[in-house]
Amino acid sequence: MKPDQSELEAVIKRFLADPDYRDHPVTHVLGQLWQQHRELLNRMERITRVSDVYQSLAREREMSLSERFDKQLRQLEKVARISDRYQHMMRDLNLALREASTRDSLTGIANRRLLVERLKAEVERSERQQHTFSVAMIDIDYFKLVNDQYGHEVGDTALIEITRVMEAEVREYDLCGRWGGEEFLILLPETDVATAAGVIERMRDNIRTLAIRVGEQTLSLTVSAGLAQHAAGESYSETIKRADTALLAAKRGGRDRCEMA
Amino acid sequence: MSDFSISGTQSTPAIQGVWGSGTLSMQGDSYPENSYELFHQVFEWVQRYLAEAGRPLQLELRLLYLNTSSIKAMMDIFDLLEEAHHKGKPVAVNWHYDNRNERVAELAEEFKEDCTFPFEIVGHD
Repeated sequence: MKPDQSELEAVIKRFLADPDYRDHPVTHVLGQLWQQHRELLNRMERITRVSDVYQSLAREREMSLSERFDKQLRQLEKVARISDRYQHMMRDLNLALREASTRDSLTGIANRRLLVERLKAEVERSERQQHTFSVAMIDIDYFKLVNDQYGHEVGDTALIEITRVMEAEVREYDLCGRWGGEEFLILLPETDVATAAGVIERMRDNIRTLAIRVGEQTLSLTVSAGLAQHAAGESYSETIKRADTALLAAKRGGRDRCEMA
Repeated sequence: MSDFSISGTQSTPAIQGVWGSGTLSMQGDSYPENSYELFHQVFEWVQRYLAEAGRPLQLELRLLYLNTSSIKAMMDIFDLLEEAHHKGKPVAVNWHYDNRNERVAELAEEFKEDCTFPFEIVGHD
């Protein structure tokens, strides 16, 4: 209330209370006006109060909404983070499974499954690009005797060591794998049979000089090889079959040698 | 009062709720087609147990892979436990894992992060 207004109110109150003016007709009207004025004031105050309450309610509601939103957001972020990690775990498991399914468990080199996969791809690629490739079938000479004489453990060691030499001697883009037992297959992409023979002979030299320890003794082994160059229109199994035939010829010719189909 | 048991499949965990001993166990992988259908009965059981049993609740988890909606469902269940814990009700989680799969432990750690009730991650050989 402004001071002049409260002054005015004080004057009016005084008039209305004065017994000298009680029966004056203007006093009656003034009384009614005064009453109305008071009611209006009360109403205004009530409206202000209600609107204040609404405002604070809305503010509280807004706060709890944003709190709930924040909580949901935090949970969502956490779900996404955990989910990402589960997916990561699955991807690594898949890789490990693929690795396990394409590697020979003893020697760690490619297994037959991976060799066949790559052979098929190589046939398609060589036809598309009009290249050729060669395959070498390799067999360890008298391996059965090693197993019989020294036991399977020595046999396994021999396989592992010979594999290590093979892997070291092939070129980066060649694939060396275990075909089965003591038989290996080497895939030499974009390579004719004469070049392949050079790679295989170098490898055979290094295997021959490899000393495999058996207790106090050392053991030396040789390998025979059969080579074939993929011919246009041929399936991978036909090429392998020719390499196998060449290997058989190398064996029959006295072993420790390389024959070409 | 009421036990419940769901046998596991390749994509859903085996779940057992035993009212008498106050244990809820889950084993296996969880990537169900409809995870709401699977988990809402678990959620309801936990809710009812916490409201009515007046005894401790123990979760024994041997979970491996969880898809996104299963992760959400587990977090909702842990929220229930957290709420009960704040009301002074004894709740606890044991998350078991195979020592050969350390990453399951790391994931359990993630779940544990915001929980203030007893939450053990137990490795087994």
